[in-house]
Formats: sequence, structure tokens, C-alpha cells
Amino acid sequence: MVVAPLLAARGLTAVRAIDGRDVRVLDGVDLKLAPGDIAELRGPSGAGKTTLLLAIARLLPGAGGSLALAGESADATDPAVWRTKVALLPQRTALFPGTVEENLLLPFALKSRDGATPPSAEALRAALDDVGLSDVALDRDTARLSVGQAARVALLRVLLTAPRVLLLDEPDASLDDASAAAVAAMTARFAEAGGAVLRVSHLRADAAATVRLHLEGGRLGGGDRDDR
Amino acid sequence: MTAEGAVVIGWPQLLLAASFMLITGALSVAIGLGLVKDLAVASVRTYVQLLALGLVLRWVFSVRLWWVVVVLLGVMTVVATRIVVKRAPDAPGGLFGSALFSMAITAITVTFAVTALIVRVPVWYEPRYVIPIAGMVLGNSMTGIALALERLFSDLDSRTGEILALTALGADRWEAARASVRMALRAGLIPTINSMAAAGIVFIPGMMTGQVLAGADPLEATKYQIVVMLMVSAATAIGSILAVMLSYRRAFTADGVFLEKGLRGPAS
Repeated sequence: MVVAPLLAARGLTAVRAIDGRDVRVLDGVDLKLAPGDIAELRGPSGAGKTTLLLAIARLLPGAGGSLALAGESADATDPAVWRTKVALLPQRTALFPGTVEENLLLPFALKSRDGATPPSAEALRAALDDVGLSDVALDRDTARLSVGQAARVALLRVLLTAPRVLLLDEPDASLDDASAAAVAAMTARFAEAGGAVLRVSHLRADAAATVRLHLEGGRLGGGDRDDR
Repeated sequence: MTAEGAVVIGWPQLLLAASFMLITGALSVAIGLGLVKDLAVASVRTYVQLLALGLVLRWVFSVRLWWVVVVLLGVMTVVATRIVVKRAPDAPGGLFGSALFSMAITAITVTFAVTALIVRVPVWYEPRYVIPIAGMVLGNSMTGIALALERLFSDLDSRTGEILALTALGADRWEAARASVRMALRAGLIPTINSMAAAGIVFIPGMMTGQVLAGADPLEATKYQIVVMLMVSAATAIGSILAVMLSYRRAFTADGVFLEKGLRGPAS
């Protein structure tokens, strides 16, 4: 019996105009992620790591190739609904003006998540405590969070929506070691619960990674699977 | 030669008014502002354009043909739309159509609502009323629409990171753009709201000044001015809302992905 992978990408292509000429940033990238996978994506600067994440999240205009989630083709899914299941956390933390609670609840007010029940204030409190943010009040203005706190709130905002696949773009790029460790722990727990993670890493290697990928010249190498 | 007690300005006196500009020009030379040429060109344009306008209006008012009024309104709307599009350089291509539609709908509904329901002119195309009122409606909604569109796209661009995060969380185009739409509409409407609040205390509105100088009773002129101010506000609001709601989508792909400034293509 062949089990369909959680996420399957085939022949992803992307062309970008750089200095007046078209460069194939992604030149036929194939990728499969199984439940529980934490795939670490590395590659030289400008190799298209972010572009690959955007393409998988269907956030890249003009990207080619095919995507499927749990065997279901992306073509059959509304792009906004796809993004609720294959969730990208952009590199630059973008919390919106307002309180921590408003930010955590925002995804549940979107039409693409119509019918989903937003978590209660108690659940939000517990979730914050869980990721080492017990000193952050729900009504704290996001402008008054430290960089490390904001990064964890932004990651929590995505995790609370229970996506199937998590795409992280250098989630710990500007974090101290303690915050980075908290982010890694949050990611690991998501994978243990059956999610799949694709994470661009630049500084630190993720010790929990089960797959290591290397993107260069528009093509994906590696794919060595660490058995835990 | 007086009409209803108004003193008529003679041609020699009209030329005499140019001496104001001679004084300004002399000052410009003395201080070295380097504005003499601009002042001269602007002064000549004021004379030529306004006298031409007077002659055209005198003809339009005397022939009283419905199609002449319609053609004139069409030309005014197209010119106003071109100015709007030019003032929003960050806007994506294809803006002209939605701006023209917004201007036209606003001008037609507000102008004819005023002439038919409030002024109650006996002939629907009565040029003496329709043309000046349409001019004020278009002129003011033009400014509002231009401000709103300019702000819409500059605010969207300043929120690129936020919009990416929102879209990644599953937001559609409207949900991602909403905060910028709000900002844009506020920017378009605030000047009008401010001028309504200051009218009569800080300044005597231009239209009322004109009527009073032409010999009208100040209270009668006031009534007209109130109608004009409310009409102009409504026109600015309707025009800005239409234009912004019709054009924010152009900054996104059909899949709901925000296109940054460099990816949107030039305005047309």
C-alpha cells in the first residue's frame, strides 16, 4: 500500500527578472514531505529558498509546477484555503497593530476559515504559557514585545490555526539562543503531532531535522533522511 | 452697464490688474527667486484660459442645446480623469477605466440630483446651472479621488510585509487591503470635511464670494453655498469610495497575492 505524502511538489519552476535578464530561480524542484517530517532547507544566499516557500504556499505569481496536499491537487483548492493548510511564516515578523490577543485571534476572523471556532481566552493564555511567554499579558500591545517575544507570538498565531504543513523562513534569524530554542521546541511539537515542517535555516542547524535539503542553481539536492 | 447692482469691470481695469503681477515680478527679481518666467506664463494663462472659458460659456448658455452640454460634460470628465491618473504614479495599469467610471457616475448623479431636485431647473440640461455645478462636482471629487488613490497604493506598498503575513494566514484581497482602503478613504475625505467645518468662519467660500460680488443677497448666496458644500462633500465621498473599491484589486493577482510596486506594471 502506497501512502500519499502529506505534501507533494512536482516540477516547481519560478522565473525572476534579475538585472534585466530572466533567471530560473526554481528549475524543476520536486519535494515530498511526510507527517512528522522536519525538513531543513539550506543553500547559498539568493539561491531561491524563500522563493520555494512562497511557491509552495501559492504566494508566488507566475510559479509553475504542481502541488498536492494529502493526495489532493492544489488546483482543486481555493488559494486562500490552501494557505490556511499550508501555512507560511514570513521571515520578517509582521504582527499587526493591536494587542497580542487580537493578533492571535485575527486568523479566525478571515473568510477562508469560516466556521472555525476561535480559541477561548483561557486557551490562548495556556498556549502563551506553553511557549515560555507566561510574562506576556494577552492585552499587551504588540509594539511593546521584544524581538524574541514577537517571533514566538507570530509562530503561535500560525500554530493555533492548526495547519497541516508549516513553512518557516529563517524563524530564528534575529533571535537569541533561548528564543531560538523555544521556536525549535514549538516546531518539533507540531511535527510530533503529525504536521510537516519545511524550514529555511541559515544560522543554526535544527537538531530535530529529519530531512536535510540543499537548494542551489534552482535545483534541490540532499533529501537524506535522518532516522530518529 | 450694471447688472443687479454689480459693478462691471472694464477692459482697462482688467489690464490694470496685471500690475499686481508686475509688482510680484519685480520682487522676484530683487530677491532672486528665479520665478519671473513662471509668473509671466501663469499670468498670461490666467487671462487666456479664463477669457476663453467666459466666451465658451457665453456661447453655450446662449445656444442652449442639450448635446452641447453633454459633450462639454464629457470633455470635462475625461480631462479630470487624466489628472487623477497622473497624480497616482504608483497605481497599477488599467486605472483610467475605473477612475473614469467613478468620475462619470459621481458627476452625473450629484449634478443632476442638485439641478433637478434642489435648484429645480425647468429644462434638465439648462447650461447656466448644469455646467457650473458639474464643474464644482468634478473639480472637488477629482481632488478627493486623486488623494485617495495616491494614498491607497502608497499605503499598500508601505504594508508589503504585513500584507504578505495576512495573505499567508489565509486573507483574501479585501481582508489584506482593508486597512489601506480605510486610510485612503480618510485621506480623500478629510480635506472636504475640514473645509465644511471652516466655511463661514475662516473663509467665505469662493462660490458665495462670486455671487455676492455679482450683486446677490448674502442670505440667498448662503443657501446656494450650503447646497454646494454638501453636494461637493457627497461627490467627493461617492467618487473616492467608487474609485478605491474598483481599483484596490488591481494591486493583487487573481490568486490574491499582493503585487509590489515593481511588479504591477505602469499606470495607463
